Amino acid sequence: MNILAIETTGKYGSAAVINGAGEVFSAISTEEMNHLKGMMLLIDEALREAGIDKSELTHVAASVGPGSFTGIRIGVVTARVMAQMLDVPCVAVSSLEAMAGRVLDDAVSKGSLYVVPIINARRHQTYAGVWEAEFTSDYEHKALSPVMEEKQYMIEDLLKELSSMIAKLEAEASGRAQSLKAMLGNAVYFTGDGIDAYKEIIESSLPEGTYVFADEELRYQHAESVTEIALKRAMAGKVLGYNELMPEYMRLAEAEQRLKAGTLSERIRKPVQI
Amino acid sequence: MKDGRFLTLGIETSCDETAASVVADGRFVMSNVISSQIDIHTAYGGVVPEIASRKHLERINDVIGKALSDADVTAKDIDLIGVTYGPGLVGALLIGVAAAKAMAYACDIPLVGVNHMHGHIAANYLEHHDLEPPFMALIVSGGHTEIVNVPAYNKCEKLGGTRDDAAGEAFDKIARVIGLGYPGGPKIDKAAKEGDPESAAFKRVYLEPGSLDFSFSGLKTQALNYLNQERMAGREINVNDVAASFQEAVVEVIADKAVMAAEKYGQKRIVMAGGVASNTRLRALIAEKAGAKGIDVLKPSPILCTDNGAMIASAAYYAYKNGEEPTLELDAVPGLEF
Ligand SMILES: Nc1ncnc2c1ncn2[C@@H]1O[C@H](COP(=O)(O)OP(=O)(O)O)[C@@H](O)[C@H]1O
Ligand SMILES: [Mg+2]
Repeated sequence: MNILAIETTGKYGSAAVINGAGEVFSAISTEEMNHLKGMMLLIDEALREAGIDKSELTHVAASVGPGSFTGIRIGVVTARVMAQMLDVPCVAVSSLEAMAGRVLDDAVSKGSLYVVPIINARRHQTYAGVWEAEFTSDYEHKALSPVMEEKQYMIEDLLKELSSMIAKLEAEASGRAQSLKAMLGNAVYFTGDGIDAYKEIIESSLPEGTYVFADEELRYQHAESVTEIALKRAMAGKVLGYNELMPEYMRLAEAEQRLKAGTLSERIRKPVQI
Repeated sequence: MKDGRFLTLGIETSCDETAASVVADGRFVMSNVISSQIDIHTAYGGVVPEIASRKHLERINDVIGKALSDADVTAKDIDLIGVTYGPGLVGALLIGVAAAKAMAYACDIPLVGVNHMHGHIAANYLEHHDLEPPFMALIVSGGHTEIVNVPAYNKCEKLGGTRDDAAGEAFDKIARVIGLGYPGGPKIDKAAKEGDPESAAFKRVYLEPGSLDFSFSGLKTQALNYLNQERMAGREINVNDVAASFQEAVVEVIADKAVMAAEKYGQKRIVMAGGVASNTRLRALIAEKAGAKGIDVLKPSPILCTDNGAMIASAAYYAYKNGEEPTLELDAVPGLEF
């Protein structure tokens, strides 16, 4: 298997290729929001690094969102058309799941239990999900299992949920001999650009020492982590036709929301009666 | 190449039409697929950019696929891809541009970006196979009302344009106000056929003597005031009459200025382009006025007047043949000038 993955849901676009041996090769943009202009060059660079010709690709994967609507579309369209033209299937990967995967090693090494990627969706909104990090005592095996649905949350609501999860851990820990701090240190591991937007709100909502923020090198989307999930998914046969690869916006267009809510401006919706 | 013909695939997604087409030798339309979103945007009274972008994404693969299969070719036969990179809605444009680049890269086909307005002009090369520059072009669409001197392929000297609303925009606004709905242009055209163009005395705005610019916002305001007055006076409004009077005021000025420009620059031909170029009254009036001065008027058939991929393919063909460098680094430029 040779899978190309495209990640354009965040600020910096990237492309990565994973080969049959599980080796990953990638290229990431140095320019912000340069997805449209730069993507083919990134793809070309990743393929060349990998020593793989585009005709040898077996799948094209994309991070389908959530994230910037424009960014999502550029990645998804690029993947769809490449798959159509190369006659290979697509693999859809959630940007949040890929972000969680990217920090899993770090989260486990810091003793975190919950991995929480948060993407800034402005006005106190986030796209987020919560995963539990599972690992064996020798750290040989690590995995993520979802514990809270990936969707749009008000940051305050998300933090309320996380507070009660921390409180539950506290209650479990209270009967035991170990100090509370050691049990709960860094219980929640945040990653994503939501940190940049909501750091203060997080700090004022959760007890100190119960959470940790991903370092900047690991905090943002990267196609490398998309390839790893895509490989597992492709091996499990979870592939899609190019027309089935759809964006995961997690939000209706504003006009659609208003049309549904019946608040689309009268002037716009109806012709003026005379 | 197929049967010795150079094949260009044109892709167009600048507004609310997802379109692709295969054109042979820059002139012959082999397929012309247009997937319109009009039905979707009608519920909102106009094009909603975010929704347009979402729909383009869902449709682009099938539109390209059908353009190839309708032309009875495969991607391997395509020699050149052309795509609209501006002007237009940025979110809409980038779907076409990203798709074109992905295909160009996957299939090793050169790609050139096309100015949508050059595309509208090139629609005439598809209709009139012997037409070559120089000529005077009149571009009248939802976003543009422009008089452009065309000395060579894809060379455009803008001589005048609208200072406020475009002609199509004015039609669309008035159509909404008199209850004809969206898109207004074709509905005004139809209603006007049953109406009296002299029922209301709307002004013809020529601006300074010799100016090739346009202004339609004053006319729009006048029409709105007229409708209010009539309503206040309790008189019933005849939609067909208003449509006919408004249309006449718009097209008369356009026709006069296009002819004036052709005369001034010694051009023997006026070439029409853009959605409003399919307005039946404008077509008739300009032919009449130009004919009186010995100037020919050429226009594409209505299917080539609206946004389509064929016109983009034709413009791409001439850009490429005239030495434009292919690029995989194309970006969308929503405010692209001529
Ligand atoms: N028969 C017609 N008469 C007048 N206007 C028309 C007619 N047909 C289409 N239009 C107008 O043409 C415009 C669409 O043309 P198009 O070239 O697609 O514009 P743009 O690309 O600038 O949006 C709309 O404003 C529409 O109302
Ligand atoms: Mg147009």
